[in-house]
Amino acid sequence: MEVTLLKVTVVVYLLATASFIVYVVLLKEFFARLSPLILLGGFIIHTSALAVHFIQTGYPAIMQFREALSFYTWLMVGIYLLVQLKYRLAVLGCFIGPLAFIMSLAAFAFAAGREEIPPALKTYWLPLHVTLAFLGNAVFALAFGVSLMYLLQEYQLKSKKMPSLYERFPSLETLDRLNYLFLVWGFPLMTLGIITGSMWAGVHWGKYWSWDPRQISSAVTWLLYGTLLQGRIAAGWHGKKAAVLTIVGFAVVLGYFLWGDYLFPSRHGGRFE
Amino acid sequence: MGLNHRTAPVEVREKVAFESSLLADSLKRVCSLPSIQEGVIVSTCNRVEVIVAASDGETAARELKGFLAEQEYPEGHGGLDSHLYTYTADAAVRHLFRVAASLDSMVVGEPQILGQIKDYYFAAHEAGTVGTILHRLFHRSFTVAKRVRTETGIASRAVSVSSVAVDLARRIFDRLDDKTVMLIGAGKMGGLVARHLQGSGVSSLMVTNRTFERAVELAAEFRGNPIRFEDYPRYLTLADLIIGCTSAPEMLLERESVERVLKERKRKAMFFIDLGDRRNFDPRIHELDNAYLYNLDDLEGVARENLKGRKAEVHKAEEIVGEEVTAFLRWLESLDQVPTIIALRQRLEEIRKREMEKSLGTGLKELSERQREALEDMTAAMINKILHAPITHLKRQGRDEDEAVYIEALKKLFDLGEK
Repeated sequence: MEVTLLKVTVVVYLLATASFIVYVVLLKEFFARLSPLILLGGFIIHTSALAVHFIQTGYPAIMQFREALSFYTWLMVGIYLLVQLKYRLAVLGCFIGPLAFIMSLAAFAFAAGREEIPPALKTYWLPLHVTLAFLGNAVFALAFGVSLMYLLQEYQLKSKKMPSLYERFPSLETLDRLNYLFLVWGFPLMTLGIITGSMWAGVHWGKYWSWDPRQISSAVTWLLYGTLLQGRIAAGWHGKKAAVLTIVGFAVVLGYFLWGDYLFPSRHGGRFE
Repeated sequence: MGLNHRTAPVEVREKVAFESSLLADSLKRVCSLPSIQEGVIVSTCNRVEVIVAASDGETAARELKGFLAEQEYPEGHGGLDSHLYTYTADAAVRHLFRVAASLDSMVVGEPQILGQIKDYYFAAHEAGTVGTILHRLFHRSFTVAKRVRTETGIASRAVSVSSVAVDLARRIFDRLDDKTVMLIGAGKMGGLVARHLQGSGVSSLMVTNRTFERAVELAAEFRGNPIRFEDYPRYLTLADLIIGCTSAPEMLLERESVERVLKERKRKAMFFIDLGDRRNFDPRIHELDNAYLYNLDDLEGVARENLKGRKAEVHKAEEIVGEEVTAFLRWLESLDQVPTIIALRQRLEEIRKREMEKSLGTGLKELSERQREALEDMTAAMINKILHAPITHLKRQGRDEDEAVYIEALKKLFDLGEK
């Protein structure tokens, strides 16, 4: 049941992606309205898959890596839909749609791990930590999307070449403001994610801070985003500089999320081996 | 029938053009021509056209030529005939649709032509020279124009320097109504761009000029604030869009000074538009983050590219026109079937009446009033039942190409020839 729902979700995300691409290519207003609706459909199915998991196992679907990836996708799509409600940014969906499709598909590529959960992990610190950290990251994914759009738009204005593909991009000012908005929301969420994580570590590992690679990488990204936010507020950094830093920050987060455990074995992570 | 910017030079067009005060009169004269039932005259600076509905194209064309020959005509441009084009039937429908959709315009996609056609249509409507056919034709042409505008990118790209400037400003700035424009110099182009920006919502404008009196004059004209020329660098931090349009031989703004201004503005974006005869702004300003500098050549370049893009959209638009022409011709043909159906009904009704009278006068003389009525009803119902199938068929057939064949067959079989 859960797996079937997740498979349907992947297909619906693919449909949404296709619809977003049609929108960008043909610039038909109709698709700007349709695409987020398809994505919403996928989100609802995705939600029900997560709900089924919770009802069957009594625990959120975050214990295995594939589950975590899927959960993260779910949060990201959810936040995008909220943003879409307020800002009507169908173009942003052109980044989120494909990302959602690829990540939800990738979740299937990772082998299912052991089903039972070590009793030591079965506290509610963990879901709280994962949810907050992922929420922060999902908001940064959107910040990444608008930053990429900013750079594309900026490149066009600087090179004085104007292909029609980007005609529907929002103005630099709008994109920059959204970057700030996402940063302001993402940073506290990320901070809370790190705090709850270290609370959990305190309870289960006995130490709040143990120089674990995951902890170090979190601290690095936290500092990176923190510097960026502080630079924006105090030093008036914005525009291209902010966009580039946002992209770098997200690349670090995403890269570590996907491959970190292979490169730097950590006690943290999606696998419990 | 008519002439346009491609077939006739402006000297010819302006002479042949219809004066608006005499339009109603001219329309009535067109429709008084024996072969012509309905007429609309369109007379803009790029085209003079007479669009008529007539049952016989050739006669109508001859008479229209005579009509147009009554217009003034400049000497030394060959005969009027050499500039005229004539379209009939589907070609005429296609032509009007293309004109309304701005596919036949000098600047393809320019939006004014539709409004002009609407005006001339309504003028003809007032003059009472529009009937069923032209009514439908023109309303369809408005729809075609709307479809072309919304379904193709033909009108979405800015093709003039000032609209390109506004377009670029919108890419940089979220909204223009809280932005400030600084206009340096009194050049005509600068004023044009400033006006266009005001039209797009900019409310705050500073004007400066080497002679302060001129700045005051310009400021009054644009309802902006005049600033002394020696003071303007101090006001630069307030300006989001800076238009330079002076004929000064030396550069007004260097990269370094703009860099300072940007720092003061906390790096809020600045858009420089250089329309001067010689460079007003240092081209290296464009290298700075959050500063964008476009000069006249750049703006014209974008406009040219956009125009090319418009042309690429033309074939999409032509397809829409093609579809609509077919739809209109189908409707025009269906007009033919209505009289046939009526004639057929009348013919059968005549037969029924005649036969009823005959029978009631002879064999059925003894029938009571009630029985007569019942018989009346029954025969009428029979006719309706018989006609039901062929009429439905004919109406549905309306979309078919051999519809004309059916109508012809009916006319022959029932002897419905025009009386």
